[in-house]
Amino acid sequence: PLPSAQHNNALRPTAGMPDSALSLPSLVDMGFTDAQAEQIHEAVCKVRGGSATKHALSTLTALFGLGFNPSSVLKMLQKCPELYTVRESQLQQCINYLRKLGLVEGSLQRTLAHYPQILTVPVKTIKHVVLLLREKCLFTVQQVADIFRDSPAIVLEDLSQTEYKFQYVYFRMGIKQAEMVKTRLFRFTLDEVRCRHCFLERRGLYQTPDKRGQTSIINPKLDSILKIDLDTYLSEIANASAEEYDVFQRLMARECQEQDQQYDSIEAD
Amino acid sequence: EKWAATRPKYPPTTLALQHFDTAYSAELGQLWPSVRVALLSERKYGALLNNFSHHDVQADLEVQGCRDFVSSADKEAQPCLQEESSCVAVRESDVGAKQQSPLPLSLNIKCVVFPRGDITRFKPARPDMHGLLGYYLMDAASVLPCLALDVQEGHSVLDLCAAPGGKTLALLQTQAIRFLCVNDASVSRTSRLRKVLHSYVPKQFLTDGNLRITSFDGTKWGEIERNSFDRVLIDVPCTTDRHSLMEDDNNIFSKSRIGERRRLPQLQLELLLAGIEAACPGGEIMYSTCTLSQIQNQSVVEQAICLSRENHGIRLEVVDLRPLTHMFKKTFHFAPSLHLGEMVIPHLAANFGPIYMCKLKRLT
Ligand SMILES: C[S@@+](CC[C@H](N)C(=O)[O-])C[C@H]1O[C@@H](n2cnc3c(N)ncnc32)[C@H](O)[C@@H]1O
Repeated sequence: PLPSAQHNNALRPTAGMPDSALSLPSLVDMGFTDAQAEQIHEAVCKVRGGSATKHALSTLTALFGLGFNPSSVLKMLQKCPELYTVRESQLQQCINYLRKLGLVEGSLQRTLAHYPQILTVPVKTIKHVVLLLREKCLFTVQQVADIFRDSPAIVLEDLSQTEYKFQYVYFRMGIKQAEMVKTRLFRFTLDEVRCRHCFLERRGLYQTPDKRGQTSIINPKLDSILKIDLDTYLSEIANASAEEYDVFQRLMARECQEQDQQYDSIEAD
Repeated sequence: EKWAATRPKYPPTTLALQHFDTAYSAELGQLWPSVRVALLSERKYGALLNNFSHHDVQADLEVQGCRDFVSSADKEAQPCLQEESSCVAVRESDVGAKQQSPLPLSLNIKCVVFPRGDITRFKPARPDMHGLLGYYLMDAASVLPCLALDVQEGHSVLDLCAAPGGKTLALLQTQAIRFLCVNDASVSRTSRLRKVLHSYVPKQFLTDGNLRITSFDGTKWGEIERNSFDRVLIDVPCTTDRHSLMEDDNNIFSKSRIGERRRLPQLQLELLLAGIEAACPGGEIMYSTCTLSQIQNQSVVEQAICLSRENHGIRLEVVDLRPLTHMFKKTFHFAPSLHLGEMVIPHLAANFGPIYMCKLKRLT
């Protein structure tokens, strides 16, 4: 149940708000159960810094304002305790920017519930990711919105890793942006992608398309390489034993690590 | 550097892979993808222990988790192998199969490997107080032809294509050879072989009285010395499948070496024929390669058996090496049911080979 309008009014922070704004009774007033209120109270007390109370209050207000119910709000705070200390302006800018990106109501809420950490990320950082996706990876506006909706954690990933992952899938695997979005590529680590792809490639089951986009075998879809559990991948796509894949993963990890070291030493020369 | 400009559109490694995809998917069928991924991934080595070295490297290596695959062979498959027994033999254990005579193996050859699935690498061997190295790193499957050659006390042995010398070293570990002839057509590789021998074997075992190193064309050996050796190893030049897939340098699939590559089966046949002639009647011959190719393996042996009889009146018997594959099936993957010889095929968890071997016995 949504908290009543009256509650929301009562929550609007005012200058010189007494600490009692986050007292147990007022939390219960907001709609939390006694147990939930206690958890929040405890968490706020644990956060150091005098401004915690103020920020906690504005965060609660903002989250309720987005239509989350008390138990969803609690879950988000548990997932990301940093939310207690986030400035109100940061929070609002972030929400506004995500809306501007095209995360409409519903998908915005789902994204935030799934990955509340995104609210602590400076808009500038998010903008860098968007710029990369738009200009270097040539995703459309809609595709970028889809990526943020499905894989919000992309905002905290290293930009060069994200770019490399895109290039790997685009050039080595010959896969277009639309299929990447559909497969939710950015949910997978580069190591996972590379390992599953290279395993197939070395078995002769995947080919990089030539300039005209042609291959002499039919490549499996990205979906059936990444979006299935390991057992199904092995039995239906790779046709291999778990033992082989286990050894392969360890060999790949060492190969990649040694290749990186090699490049590093070349750069140092 | 302008490597980008000069790099060929299809580097030899790519040409090799295309060639293998066609040939081996036909020969190996379902097995090919699994062999392919192993060939394209890092191989495993074995450490051939040097009995002449004073380091107790075996204990060191065992602490690291290695074991000698020869002595830890499957006891079930070879009921009469005991620790101290001199009878290293196997009996075909398949019910219903015809009783086979035991397969004797060369003694004192030890080769340690990391367990199945373990990808740890060996460190380079270090010299002992006499400057001798404790072990030689090689494909553990390369030890099998040497084991199966069954070198016995007092034998004279010919290693016709010996450089760089891994198998020669394995044969020398038996300390049973009365006289060893080591040959390789390439002079530079022969001198490498000489260095290897001196880093592993004390001088008193490398005298003119017990060792001869030559650089002849092995195909001409029949003109030099016939009917003389108890054992002959013919480890022929081949498409060296693993090397051809991994290294563009010195690659037999490069455009400029097409002729040489096409002539390989003929060269292999001539070398095998020469080796057969060099063996004495009753003597045994081991043909081996490091390729999966039927044309370079079974076909060469088939033709050699035929031609030996037609041209030289030499009758040969193929020695059944199946007992060997039973003994060592925990360490290696063997190709199932070849009609002639046995072959270790690469597998990610046991990434040795490819090694093909076929043993012949001269009846006349
Ligand atoms: C597979 S390698 C031998 C490896 C060696 N047995 C070992 O275990 O270290 C084949 C060798 O045959 C040699 N070779 C090539 N043509 C030859 C010929 N006509 N006669 C003798 N040796 C030849 C090559 O120089 C090469 O060293």
